[in-house]
Amino acid sequence: MELVKLLSSVPLFSGLNTDQLTRLTSISRSETFNTDDIIFKQGSTDDRVYIVTRGQVEIRFADAGGGDHAALYLGQGQIFGEMALLDKGARSASVLAIEDGTEVYSITSTALMTLCQQDTAIGFIMMRNLALDLSFKLRHKNLDPTTSI
Amino acid sequence: MIYKVSYVVSGGNYPGGIKNENERPQVGAVVQIGRVKFKVMEVHEIIPPRDDFQFLHATVKPLEEVEPTKG
Repeated sequence: MELVKLLSSVPLFSGLNTDQLTRLTSISRSETFNTDDIIFKQGSTDDRVYIVTRGQVEIRFADAGGGDHAALYLGQGQIFGEMALLDKGARSASVLAIEDGTEVYSITSTALMTLCQQDTAIGFIMMRNLALDLSFKLRHKNLDPTTSI
Repeated sequence: MIYKVSYVVSGGNYPGGIKNENERPQVGAVVQIGRVKFKVMEVHEIIPPRDDFQFLHATVKPLEEVEPTKG
């Protein structure tokens, strides 16, 4: 029940009822990372979507010159990895934890899509919320000249 | 109410961040984005509220000189 309450505070799950949130918790996996732990690397092909429930993560992009740079920080309640969830492409950036005890929940694309097809109400709400999150990130990018997401 | 906030750093080359806050950020408050603390300079609504969420944009200024983020 604690996880259901936690997920209800995440915009991605806004509009879902307790029963629907409970079904999502059954396909979610929790992981905890410490500072500078890599959650996934740019170019990798995992298709999980991640939700930050505690701490902060750093989104990093590789430079043409072989280095990399931080492009965005995401804190509690934010999602990352949603592009691979939707298009199954390689990861467009690397993500690492920048606080000890950073906690994320993740859901595989296959499990989420199966749930969305079984319960199209969940599917509609989740896809709407995913679109809203991408829209919010685009607005953030438009306002932040240093960001490249 | 939960506040989803887009924080953008004014000046410099430090990336901003997005996170949820339990209280609306106030001008003059200190917020940590990534590894650095910033002072909130301006807050406004970025899109209309939906369900239990408000969507805000905040401009922040470093409390001290920040290093570029090249890895």
